[in-house]
Amino acid sequence: MIDLLILFIKVGFVLNLALTLGSVCIWIERKASALIQDRVGANRAGAFVVSDRWYLQPILPIVRLFGWLGVINTLVCDSLKGLMKEDFVPEGTSRFLHAAAPVIAVLPVLLAFAVLPLAPDFTVWGVQVRPQVASIDAGILFVLAMGSVAVYGVAIAGWTGNNKFSLLGALRAAAQMISYELPMGLVFVALIVVYGTLDVYAMVERQEELLWGFLPAWGIVTQPVGFVVLLLAGMAETKRGPFDLPEAESELAAGYFTEYSGMKFLLFWMGEFCEIALFAMLLALLFFGGWDIPWITLPEGAWWAALLGHAVLVVKILFFCLLQVVIRWTLPRFRYDQLMNLGWKLLLPVALLNLVITAVVKVLL
Amino acid sequence: MIFAAIFFGAVAIVSALGVVLFRNPLFSAFALVSNLLSVAAVYATMKAHFLAVSQVVVYAGAIMVLVLFVLMLLNLKSETVRRSDWTKLIVAGFGGVIIFCSVVPVVLSSLEMVDANLVASDFQAADGTVAAVGRLLYSEYVPQFELSSLVLLVGVVGAVMLTRKKSTDPSPREGGLTGGK
Repeated sequence: MIDLLILFIKVGFVLNLALTLGSVCIWIERKASALIQDRVGANRAGAFVVSDRWYLQPILPIVRLFGWLGVINTLVCDSLKGLMKEDFVPEGTSRFLHAAAPVIAVLPVLLAFAVLPLAPDFTVWGVQVRPQVASIDAGILFVLAMGSVAVYGVAIAGWTGNNKFSLLGALRAAAQMISYELPMGLVFVALIVVYGTLDVYAMVERQEELLWGFLPAWGIVTQPVGFVVLLLAGMAETKRGPFDLPEAESELAAGYFTEYSGMKFLLFWMGEFCEIALFAMLLALLFFGGWDIPWITLPEGAWWAALLGHAVLVVKILFFCLLQVVIRWTLPRFRYDQLMNLGWKLLLPVALLNLVITAVVKVLL
Repeated sequence: MIFAAIFFGAVAIVSALGVVLFRNPLFSAFALVSNLLSVAAVYATMKAHFLAVSQVVVYAGAIMVLVLFVLMLLNLKSETVRRSDWTKLIVAGFGGVIIFCSVVPVVLSSLEMVDANLVASDFQAADGTVAAVGRLLYSEYVPQFELSSLVLLVGVVGAVMLTRKKSTDPSPREGGLTGGK
């Protein structure tokens, strides 16, 4: 019974983390893009709110601060706007699939969070808790599987759009996601060779060691090439600039979600930003030691150590979210053949070579 | 777990029926996807996580996406073949009977292997972990494993041959779906 309760709490916590990180990513995207383009960005809604109700007085400064920072605009006003807009369904297509597509696009992304650990093990009231929803044997492969299922949402969305822009966007997205899954999978294999396990929790534990007594054994140290390949492949997998060919607005209107409006459109958006958060979390866990602080060993099992570890992990995740947003708003879009060449002729051979060298080094050591 | 297995098994059967009964080929493809996913779920209920994940990655994630790709590109309309095409019905029925007859012995023999005293909590595959599957693949089944890679290589060479540009073609095309670059 207590196990079931713990499981429910874990699921709720992970879902909450995924959606919160997704929302924060949206805010980062809005503000960072504004700063990069020398604009101010959202800073009006809620910034000048006044009220003479006594019970509202303590929270008014916080609301004004959030309004001035653009948090209220991007998170509250945008979603309200999405809810109130007309829900448009194009003619001559399946209404069911049109409604199902955004759900199919978001669900795998949220599911993939299930195998990622959030903090080191800890003990409360005599119960040992591992902050990871599913510690399954296949581990990291589950993330790959969910990534490949996410293609369906995009493909169905493009097909139910019932116009050429949507269909072209969906075909581009499907081809791109399948192509970049290969280097991604090969980097995962190289990581499995290095850490000798598929479980992400055990992978993070292996990174807490020190190499030659001083260098933290983070993935970025043992697999620098793998990190670069995974960063590129992951950015292509999330279909964001400079790889946002599936929704290239100058060629395809809005690509696969051209015919989506209101909340369904926002669901696609939310899925995309949750994917960014997921990918940032993968980078932090696999290459940057997860909750590990170099040269500092926290006591095992203490609740405050787990909390601190979780905070460290979130900081790392937010850094990678910011990095992806900055890359997106800095680099111009690739051409489609350049995108395919990069994936098949550069990343795939490099990832294969990286895997072979890793295996040889692993055997020799 | 056995109830989950029964549920997903039922979903697999219903969606398999959907594959043949839907008139629209795209719906058939989606039914096949749901069939593959529910078979993966049955594996997962048997704690064979690696098999489940590889089922999703290989079949649902790669092969079916390509099938879907082709279906969407061809933009097929709903099935227009009349049902009263007797020759087709007879040939299809004959093939169905043959496949059914070859499947029944396998099912019967696997039923013999099932322990009559099976307890619901013991319901799991013998060994579906990554290590177990890997050990089997690289020891007992090495010839079959290597032969299948040869089959794939033949497929790759064939694809290259089919798509190779003819040397007389004056306008080499770049990229696939450039959408007018």
